[in-house]
Amino acid sequence: MKGIGLAKGLAVTLKTMTRRATTRQYPDVEPELPPRTKGVIALIEENCTVCMLCARECPDWCIYIDSHKEEVVVPGAARARQRNVLDQFTIDFSLCMYCGICVDSCPFDALHWSPEFEYAEYDVNDLLHGRDRLREWVLTVPAPPAQDANGAPAKEQAAAEKALAAAAAKAAAQAEAGTEDGNGRM
Amino acid sequence: MTVADVLLTAIGAVVVGSALLVVTTRHIVHAGLWLVVTLTGVAALYLVLTAELVAWVQILLYLGAVVVLLLFAVMLTRAPIGARDDLDRPRWPGVLVGLGTAGSLAALLANAYRWDKIELPAAGTAERIGEHLFRSWVLPFELVGLLLLAALIGAIALSRSGDE
Amino acid sequence: MPIWLDLVVRVLIVIVAAFVLPLIIGQTEHKVMAHMQGRLGPMYAGAYHGWAQLVADGAKFVQKEDITPRAADKPVFKLAPVISMLPYMIVLLVIPIGPGNGWVAQRLDIGLFFALAVLGLGVIAVLMASWASANKFALLGGLRAAAQLLGYELPFVLAAASVAMAAGTLSLSGIVEAWRPWWLLWQLPAMLVFFIAGLAEIRRPPFDMPVADSELVFGYLVEYTGLRFAFFMLAEYVGIVVIAALTTVLFLGGWKGPFGLDAELGWLWTIIKVVAVAFVVLWLRVAYPRLRVDQLQRLCWLVLVPVALAQLILTAAVKLAL
Repeated sequence: MKGIGLAKGLAVTLKTMTRRATTRQYPDVEPELPPRTKGVIALIEENCTVCMLCARECPDWCIYIDSHKEEVVVPGAARARQRNVLDQFTIDFSLCMYCGICVDSCPFDALHWSPEFEYAEYDVNDLLHGRDRLREWVLTVPAPPAQDANGAPAKEQAAAEKALAAAAAKAAAQAEAGTEDGNGRM
Repeated sequence: MTVADVLLTAIGAVVVGSALLVVTTRHIVHAGLWLVVTLTGVAALYLVLTAELVAWVQILLYLGAVVVLLLFAVMLTRAPIGARDDLDRPRWPGVLVGLGTAGSLAALLANAYRWDKIELPAAGTAERIGEHLFRSWVLPFELVGLLLLAALIGAIALSRSGDE
Repeated sequence: MPIWLDLVVRVLIVIVAAFVLPLIIGQTEHKVMAHMQGRLGPMYAGAYHGWAQLVADGAKFVQKEDITPRAADKPVFKLAPVISMLPYMIVLLVIPIGPGNGWVAQRLDIGLFFALAVLGLGVIAVLMASWASANKFALLGGLRAAAQLLGYELPFVLAAASVAMAAGTLSLSGIVEAWRPWWLLWQLPAMLVFFIAGLAEIRRPPFDMPVADSELVFGYLVEYTGLRFAFFMLAEYVGIVVIAALTTVLFLGGWKGPFGLDAELGWLWTIIKVVAVAFVVLWLRVAYPRLRVDQLQRLCWLVLVPVALAQLILTAAVKLAL
């Protein structure tokens, strides 16, 4: 029937009015953010090898990394090894567009998304955040969500299981061959 | 001098003054707005003369419809802000017609009443006007209705003549 | 009480009402609209559920810079906001909220006609504002407003004429006295036409093409700031009060309640009915999108005017038969 939509519109709005509002009053009530929220990027320095992949992948070049090399003398080794030591790791959040390519591209899981979002500043220059601040945010990084029971297993898990199965098969095959050989040798 | 006299004189001055501004201002939209003042003043004159209904009819029709339509048309075509010198306004014929009408009307009224005192009739309420209109003046009323209908049809016919 | 003091008190009451009622309506709109959209609306101003939000808004408007565009026609530009408010304030003078002479600021024998005549003046302020702003969007908005108001004046007056004919009087108090509950059914088409045309008269959504913020960037209000803008807003909300009050008085029986006691509690009934109608006005804003300009004219000339004329014939027929 024509015009029934008009009545429906009135009904929907009236019904919504009688229900509780979904608003959460932010400064008084902390928002419940999902674990994958893209808030800011945190850095676990210990994992960083200064490979510079993140800085190079960054579409707007907002990651600044400085480092120097140190000699590490390993006793018994023929010569001293070299190791990269991080001097500066700074993200310019006035440039960052929260694409997350740096987090994805980090091969050593040094960069993580943190849901933290209250880092507004009065001066745009203060949005340049260095190692200390990035380290603080590590504490706010949530634990990764549990694996979905119905989902495909994680890549690492699948690989580990495959390796385990292969090892078991190899061991079994060896054991079988061993008994046969043993008979022959003995 | 009664209060009514004072009011009539004061409002009359406003009406005449704003009417003069309507024809002398060089802002075309201002002319329309001064017309609003003039017609409101005329409605106020009716009110002072206790012709209530006529006063509000004046407001409803002249201010609410006629002047609005006029302003609407002016703004739809051209309504520059600021004064314009190229307004097409023949001065001397205008002065002649205006002064002539005003003078002859004044002479006529002065001649007709001289110093007679005329009692104000009872207030012009809706009931009284309705009674007069639909008892003694019903034929002219219907004729006016017919005339307006004819004018309406004529306007429609004129505006549609190009369609064929 | 001397007559002049009586007059002053009555006028003062109307002026206070014209400035306070819109604030109440506006605050209700904030809250009703928010909850209809699943939000909370203002919560901070005034501590308890943001009751002082509009007071805060008022303070904000006062502090804003009063800008007049250089190309604007200054006197007209500055006069328009005041004039936009006047018609609605004047109409408030004749609206009775209870029986007898004590409950109406100025009793008029032709109150209905007076109200309709004065309400028609609102468009002049809109035209003044739109033209004096020296802005294309403002001019477009003003022209839309003029076309809309001229068109909707007709069903508005016709629907009011129907109820005046039924009551046999043009006095607003007289109409309420003549009103009977079964008129709710008999005059229902006229009531709907009057209410819809009234919404269009005060340019409320879904009839807000003259201000259409998404296409005309607020139409004739585009150049106004601060207090002058606040005056236009105030006029819009007094308009809601006026339209709701007129609908109540003409079609919903004004101060007549279901339990008698009209002389003592009549004012309460009027206020309850006015608030209910005002709520519907706010409700429609939340529920419906804005009409297009051609749809607006179509609705007026093809639906409202024929319905109003048919109702006029029905009223005349019933009136003659009784």
